Amino acid sequence: MHVDELTLLLDLGLIVTTAAVFALLGKLVRMPSIVAYILAGMFLGPLFGVVEIDHSLELISELGVALLLFLVGLELSLQKVKDVGRVGLVLGGLQVLLTALGGFGMSWLLGFGLVESIFLGATVTFSSTVVVIKLLDQKGVMNRLYARIAVALFLTQDIVVIVALTILSGFGGGAGEIELLAMLKSLGIALGGMLLLLGVSLLFARYLLPKPFAWAARSPDTVFIWALCWCFLLVLFAHQFHLSVEIGAFLAGIAIAQLPIHEDLHRRLHPLMSFFIAVFLVTLGIKMDLSGLGSILPMALVLSAFVLLVKPLIVCFILARMRFSEYTAFQTAVATAQESEFAFILLALGASTGLIEGPIVSIGGLAGVITIGVSAYMIIHSERLYDVAKRVGMLAPLRAKQERDIETIHERKDHIIVVGMNALGREIVKQLTLRSERVLAIDTDPMKLDGLGAAETVIGNVEYESVLEEIGLSKARLVVSALQIEDANQLLAHRCRAAKVPCAVHAFDVSVVEDLLELGTAYLMMPKVDAVVEERDVMEKEGLLAT
Amino acid sequence: MTGVAVLLLAAAIAFGLSKWIHVPVIPLLMLSGVGLKLLADTGGVELPPELLSEMIQIGLAVLVFTAGVELSPRRMRGRTRPIVIVAVSQFLLLGVAGILTALALGYELLTAFYLGCALSASSTLVVVRHLQRRQQMFEPYGRLVIGVLLLQDVFIILIMVALVKSPDGLLASALGVTKAIGLGFVALGMHKWVIPFVTRRFKLDDEELMLGALAMLFIFSGMAWLLELPFLVGALLAGFALSAFPMNGLVRGMLGSLSGFFLALFFISAGAFLTLPSLQMIGHTLVFILVLILVTVVFVSIIAEAVGYSTRASIETGILLSQTSEFSLLLALMGVASGQISIELFSLIALITVSTMTLTPFVSRNKVAWSLMKLHPRYRKGEQTCETLSDHAVLLGFGRSGARLMQYFIEHDIKMVVVDDDAAVIRKLIAKGIPCIQGDGADVRSLELAHCRQARVVICAMRRTRDARPVLDFLKDSPTKVLVRTFEPEDIKLVEDAGGYPVQTVRASTKTFLEWLDLNLPKSETA
Repeated sequence: MHVDELTLLLDLGLIVTTAAVFALLGKLVRMPSIVAYILAGMFLGPLFGVVEIDHSLELISELGVALLLFLVGLELSLQKVKDVGRVGLVLGGLQVLLTALGGFGMSWLLGFGLVESIFLGATVTFSSTVVVIKLLDQKGVMNRLYARIAVALFLTQDIVVIVALTILSGFGGGAGEIELLAMLKSLGIALGGMLLLLGVSLLFARYLLPKPFAWAARSPDTVFIWALCWCFLLVLFAHQFHLSVEIGAFLAGIAIAQLPIHEDLHRRLHPLMSFFIAVFLVTLGIKMDLSGLGSILPMALVLSAFVLLVKPLIVCFILARMRFSEYTAFQTAVATAQESEFAFILLALGASTGLIEGPIVSIGGLAGVITIGVSAYMIIHSERLYDVAKRVGMLAPLRAKQERDIETIHERKDHIIVVGMNALGREIVKQLTLRSERVLAIDTDPMKLDGLGAAETVIGNVEYESVLEEIGLSKARLVVSALQIEDANQLLAHRCRAAKVPCAVHAFDVSVVEDLLELGTAYLMMPKVDAVVEERDVMEKEGLLAT
Repeated sequence: MTGVAVLLLAAAIAFGLSKWIHVPVIPLLMLSGVGLKLLADTGGVELPPELLSEMIQIGLAVLVFTAGVELSPRRMRGRTRPIVIVAVSQFLLLGVAGILTALALGYELLTAFYLGCALSASSTLVVVRHLQRRQQMFEPYGRLVIGVLLLQDVFIILIMVALVKSPDGLLASALGVTKAIGLGFVALGMHKWVIPFVTRRFKLDDEELMLGALAMLFIFSGMAWLLELPFLVGALLAGFALSAFPMNGLVRGMLGSLSGFFLALFFISAGAFLTLPSLQMIGHTLVFILVLILVTVVFVSIIAEAVGYSTRASIETGILLSQTSEFSLLLALMGVASGQISIELFSLIALITVSTMTLTPFVSRNKVAWSLMKLHPRYRKGEQTCETLSDHAVLLGFGRSGARLMQYFIEHDIKMVVVDDDAAVIRKLIAKGIPCIQGDGADVRSLELAHCRQARVVICAMRRTRDARPVLDFLKDSPTKVLVRTFEPEDIKLVEDAGGYPVQTVRASTKTFLEWLDLNLPKSETA
């Protein structure tokens, strides 16, 4: 046991602290964190050489990538796939094909070799699900039509990425094996393995996982560890077929996505993934070779221009042909104008299998940093960009429909949120629904949410900001907490005050009253006091108080 | 990756078992680690020592940091005196008892110090989980227990500094502790001014919060390292700096999954380092466990009652604190790392920890507390005035709303008698001159002593609704009305069928809430 040798902790400390500083500085100029992390890595590695990548950091990065793919899979419930299916598949299929061909052609014209052009073509094809969803969410437009189309497109891209990764893992033996027969054999093993894994994971999802996970559902910690265990076991299984970590994790995610607890699990795993993926992105920056910046910059700028201008144009064109309005087509297109984090994974895999060399990784990586950074600003200011583009007549050649698409926005508004489905919470939900109020009940235990009639239900923990956004706290008419957890109640009261939403909180003990009042709680529910009043009423009614 | 997957598989088995047999997960994780090592040894495979070491490093940092985040002084507000008295007394008494026992068993002085200190801290992770499951976290005794646990964590960290520095002499130890306290003041400044400013000034999203919190952990750990202190001092103080409300609540959700992941791997890895116990080690473990339970239960119960807690709360506090802590493991690990104690001693401390943590759910059952309450001296003075009572009110279980009912009966000039099994409650009632009987409200003898059949009303406010059943049976043919406080919907029918009046706590509270809603937020106005 060598707890005195703290190399990993020291490296992690430097990485996390620098990433935090860059993220904070980046926030001032609205730079997305993903860019800030890569810049932090470049600061620690190529610029100052403070941190060197060792096996442990590689492992943490690998865990991050696995978790990222696991979470992507976790979002893919079969229902969701069906909901966004057609648009996503048509748009995604055409966009991937046209962009990849365009990217390949451009790289070929710039003088890159066949394999290099394939990689660069793939690099410019995909967009960053994480970055875009985060930015759209920040803008508060996640329920807009263009945001949903963008998400559908990204999910299709994700599936293509998985296929691309599968093909790439078929090249496990290295660059020397790119002979047709060997490649087909590798491809066969990889695709066969992938199909087998897909079958196994879906069979598990259908028959073996639901019961144990339902049994453990009341113990979130157990579900959390089991899900992680399932993820990494499938990763090991994938490894047996020479498939990548990413594929195993993604398929593990799809299996869990079919279980009712998948959304809560997604929220619980997200911080863990964020930590690992931040380390991954910083290490990516550390690994970046900037020695030939002068020589790679022009190429990276050309690639970036393609991603920032041509790719959105392709998306815009396809959507216009699919009879979407000019506005929707433009906004969706803007959201796609960057490289994906998968591009980094693809490039890293390509380099590790010996198919491409360091400078290609650097060009792709630099173009990624540039496009993610620029597109972040484009997405934030997309409304203004649209006005400008329309005014100068840039969109006219698309001949897209001018009337805006009819959007049915499912927005929670003026509802009453009831947190904690203990006896008090359930009774409140029951009485409120009897009064035809729009009620949303939330609890971490799925079983407690059963049998609540007309009330909408959400499995989740209100300590997470993302949960509060999902349940529409800021637009609620009232928030009621029946929880007997002081910390959670105080935090909820604090957040309600910040959102200017009145809240009623269960003051289960006199000791919690003062703090809740200080936090501006509108009403305190005190069942013990109410019980005494009720006892008094019953005694009066029964004539038990006459002296 | 294979190593991580194997560790996670071991953790998954431990978590499943924990849920199945209702035993805290920490001992099962460590036992899972032991099993993993045995399996690996049998199969001739070596568990990657580097991975295990790194998981222990990160796990230690996360463990101490998350404990620090809970160290908010707000938790102790209004209860500082009893918490400090109970925490200090328990720590000192157990420490001394542990050191003396270790010396008597033939250990050297430094080793005895390690054993004494390891014995004197109780497990925050196990106790908090137990209190959460029983929804007693925020009851007065729950708050006392949590306050004591948090102070113990601070004591252990300071002692760790002193022990690690002890080879350099007393002055070095004192200097180390002074530096730690100095760093504590920096953390206090952050806690009081910087963190509240950041919370007010910046709207940080989940990811920024998590990264910021972790950056704080590493910055403080770095400062501790620069001051030649164990990095865990910095980890605890970083957590403390963030424990200001609402920052502690904001980061708790973010750190939950990180700590869940790393702590599981930490305990598995720590288990994999354990050596198999010899007969002598098992014997010593039993002796230490006996000392730990006896000293904690007896002395903590006495001290807690002396500082104003009810007998039941005091006994439950004593029982709940009778296990060693994850911080005991931490202390032992630092001792091993500094070469002051052997891996065998670490195994002994781990064995005590695993055993006492496993015992916790069994010894903290209601039955145990009830039987220990019977050992408490009875007070009978309150029964003297019960002889002449008739047409009176009987309150079974004084609880936290008893005072309100008592006031109400006094206002209506109705005599009343309280039946409660808690000696401390009875002592206070006697002092106020209220007729009272020390006993179980569900016991027929107590009901007869309170002349329930002659009473106009009997109010059952006992903790469990099912305890009202013998009362209702006893009063079935009498004119006395029995009001029973109910909490769950299924209790209502039980009471009605037995001829009682269910006082529906939840419905009463919902009714008043809806009245408030109609008055303050009528639907038409806002919808």
